Amino acid sequence: MADVVFANVQKRFGSFTAVEGLDLDIRQGEFICLLGPSGCGKTTTLRMLAGLEFPSGGEIRIGERVVNDVAPGERDIAMVFQSYALYPHMSVGQNIAYPLKKRRVPKSERAEMVAKTAEMLQLTPLLHRKPKELSGGQQQRVALGRALVRDPKVFLLDEPLSNLDAKLRGHMRSELIELHQRLGRTMVYVTHDQLEAMTMADRIAVMEGGKLQQFAPPQEVYRAPANRFVAGFIGTPGMNIADGVLRADDGAWVFEAPGLSVAAGDLTAEAQAGPAAMGIRPEGLSIGAGPIKGEVQVVERTGHENIVIVRVGDGMRMTCRTAPDRIWKVGETVQMAVDAAQAHFFAEGPTGRRLNRAGATGALLHPELKEATS
Amino acid sequence: MTQPTKTLLERRYSMLGLLLIAPTVLVFCAVIVYPLVSAVYLSLFKIFTPTLEGSWVGLDNYRTLLAKGEFWTSLRNNLIWTVGTLSLQILFGVGMALVLHQNIWFRSLARSLILFPYFISTVVAVLVWKWLFNDLYGILNHLMMSAGLIAWPIDYLGSMPNAMISVILVGAWKYFPFVVIAVLARLQTIPEQLYEAARIDGAGPIARFFDVTLPQLRDVLVVIIMLRAIWDFKEFDLIFLLTGGGPVTSTQTLPLLVYKEAFALNQMGMASAYAVIMMLIMLVFMIVYIRRTRQEGS
Repeated sequence: MADVVFANVQKRFGSFTAVEGLDLDIRQGEFICLLGPSGCGKTTTLRMLAGLEFPSGGEIRIGERVVNDVAPGERDIAMVFQSYALYPHMSVGQNIAYPLKKRRVPKSERAEMVAKTAEMLQLTPLLHRKPKELSGGQQQRVALGRALVRDPKVFLLDEPLSNLDAKLRGHMRSELIELHQRLGRTMVYVTHDQLEAMTMADRIAVMEGGKLQQFAPPQEVYRAPANRFVAGFIGTPGMNIADGVLRADDGAWVFEAPGLSVAAGDLTAEAQAGPAAMGIRPEGLSIGAGPIKGEVQVVERTGHENIVIVRVGDGMRMTCRTAPDRIWKVGETVQMAVDAAQAHFFAEGPTGRRLNRAGATGALLHPELKEATS
Repeated sequence: MTQPTKTLLERRYSMLGLLLIAPTVLVFCAVIVYPLVSAVYLSLFKIFTPTLEGSWVGLDNYRTLLAKGEFWTSLRNNLIWTVGTLSLQILFGVGMALVLHQNIWFRSLARSLILFPYFISTVVAVLVWKWLFNDLYGILNHLMMSAGLIAWPIDYLGSMPNAMISVILVGAWKYFPFVVIAVLARLQTIPEQLYEAARIDGAGPIARFFDVTLPQLRDVLVVIIMLRAIWDFKEFDLIFLLTGGGPVTSTQTLPLLVYKEAFALNQMGMASAYAVIMMLIMLVFMIVYIRRTRQEGS
């Protein structure tokens, strides 16, 4: 059952279109990440769901109810803000109790619910402190508490971890996952950090330029990106993308770029001879033997692997992930090979669609999710 | 125990600090400390203003003034004026700041126009108001009579309680822009997300004002009230020009009384005694203010 639905939702600010023709079906209890670069429309989407922005067109439904004209306080949602937005003059306890107070929950009941929430988030010893006396992580927890205490239908989180330091962020990430598993509530989480999206989400909605690019589970977004934008955006280090041409050679597709020629195998009916792009993840490239000649430019050692950047052909740089046991020297001439089974082919343009037949790269495609991707 | 010895560099820095602060200290002594001490000193004498000659009377001036009804009336007037005008300033000021904080199309124009009463010279403002209030040709009476609100012209400045009300109103009109500017500056720093969080938590516009806006304004309001209370308490020119303290002594506040003693009755010693008492009263405000700012600093 769909819990939150966006049906052809638009948002325009004057002549600027922030969100365009957005369709999303979020199932009950799902953890969804809205992921994309700054200005892609992800925060606007969340704010429309919260009722803080009004859609210029389309329909937003929570449960069975169309909420386009419902005030934020009546949507049965809770939101955690990037800046936490705690009421500075209220104590932790009062902050958590505030949404209950505004809904006229009796005082005795309120105290009980606050105590329970505080217990769950380990805030009990801090209940009488003011927000400014708390650390960033503790403030974050209070903001979560204020959202949790009401047990709303949908949780909205707007980059809640981006003000925390790296270590705490990792810790809060696992806490959020655990919380989601325990509560089983629908969560919509906005982030520009793909690591957060990949580790936490059941499904990721990748957005760019106000449009939804792909809506799929993390593994699928990674292994079968819907288009060139998603391919380039997801993954660290990023996918190597080479511009070239597709050529039909005796009924089989061949991709050619300067210093590079790869058999493209079976492509969809959309494939046309002419300009196209090939993408290959750093782990799909191997150094040692192969037809591609290049010169090592940078070697990054992370301990468990090496990231080697190689200059190929007419100056294109390709990033390659290798085992740490062999050290490549800067300036060394090397031969490289592309694992054709891991290559992605895209139609022309920055959001050119992926042309591989589904599963051609060994991606795990969930049959029941196919309709959401297409 | 060994004394921490200062390095040469540290000593040079402290010398520079002393050097930089010295002019301020000198000017402060000349224009604040000296007049203060001499006012206290003068208050112990009976002095004839034109010649500045007089004789030592000790605390007699204080005894006389505390026994005099005029002091207590003036003090009462002073408090009525201060409380009255200050409350109206805060009320209008906060209200207007809230209006000007909204996204209205004439906002920037209104923000500059609102400062007009504050910038205009008191003499000019009082002259204008005197014309408005005038019982024979004043536009206020004219309008109210043509609207049928009153049958006869009202004497705004020459009878009580009209005179006090008029003075309080003009004072509020003249000084509320200060409150507007200070409150507006604070309003603009309240994070928008607090209001959004409150909306999601189910707070309506009134709850948002009392739960988000007002608590955020609290600190700035305390400072404004303290400062304006001190300034209103010692206000002289506006009242003096508008009513001269009249009718009789109905709007005579302590600053006007000081002026009268010193330059109309030529009793410089007595005037100083009044001034010293005034200072003691204002010291209460100052101590509250200083404690307040120190708390915030720590």
